[in-house]
Amino acid sequence: MKTFSRYKNRVLARLATGIPALANRFVAAYKPHESRGEIPWVAPAKPLREAKLALVTTAGIHHSDQPPFNMLDKDGDPSFRELDGDRLFDDFTITHDYYDHADAERDPNIIFPLEPLRELVRSKTLGSLARVHYGFMGHIDGAHIGTLIEKTAREVARRLRADQVDLVLLTPA
Amino acid sequence: MGLIQREIEREGIATVGISIVRDYSEKVQPPRTVALRWPFGHPLGEPGNKAQQRAVLFEALKALYRIREPGTIIDLPFRWKRESYDDYQPPTAEELSPD
Repeated sequence: MKTFSRYKNRVLARLATGIPALANRFVAAYKPHESRGEIPWVAPAKPLREAKLALVTTAGIHHSDQPPFNMLDKDGDPSFRELDGDRLFDDFTITHDYYDHADAERDPNIIFPLEPLRELVRSKTLGSLARVHYGFMGHIDGAHIGTLIEKTAREVARRLRADQVDLVLLTPA
Repeated sequence: MGLIQREIEREGIATVGISIVRDYSEKVQPPRTVALRWPFGHPLGEPGNKAQQRAVLFEALKALYRIREPGTIIDLPFRWKRESYDDYQPPTAEELSPD
């Protein structure tokens, strides 16, 4: 039954990715957490050519030797994976049943633009690219929202800061 | 994704997110967003389309430096599979620097 439920989600994901009207119905069904209060804000201190940038994604990409995200919990999985940019594209898996990731498997730059970023470093447009990045799986709901805000996202923020990252680009599924 | 983005910004790191579902960004209110109306799974574009991926990346980085108002969402004009990026003009070094 659990395998069928995952299979059904992936079929729906493939349809939703290809048919905008269907995708809109899925989008309407998911109620995102509405933020309240002030929006956090810090201005970039350095020009891009001196800055260190890291990626954070919710597209569900991770190293094949890491545990997959939990797709059986309908409220999603708020955990993260540490991604080593030097070896990620050599051996990766995408665990995410809510979008069709065939194209991302063909060219992971479309969800995690490591190669375009390396080009920017080579051309001295970007100061440096962090080696360590972070991956989550999107589609988080219910009780896991609290975990995300208070624990896992906060932990990733701390690690990025400890790694002296100046800028972060986030990519969705 | 926007919730994660807010936590990272709260830690003192400037962030920008790419969004395919503008409605989520409007509700979650991340600090800076560039939005595209593209299929799920393709925030930077089509597999192998380097010029496209580069253009989206540059627009996101430009937004990182040029957005002034927290919560701003910039709608990018790129149409899915109907755009040529040959004439795309990347931002200048000045546009990719703090004021």
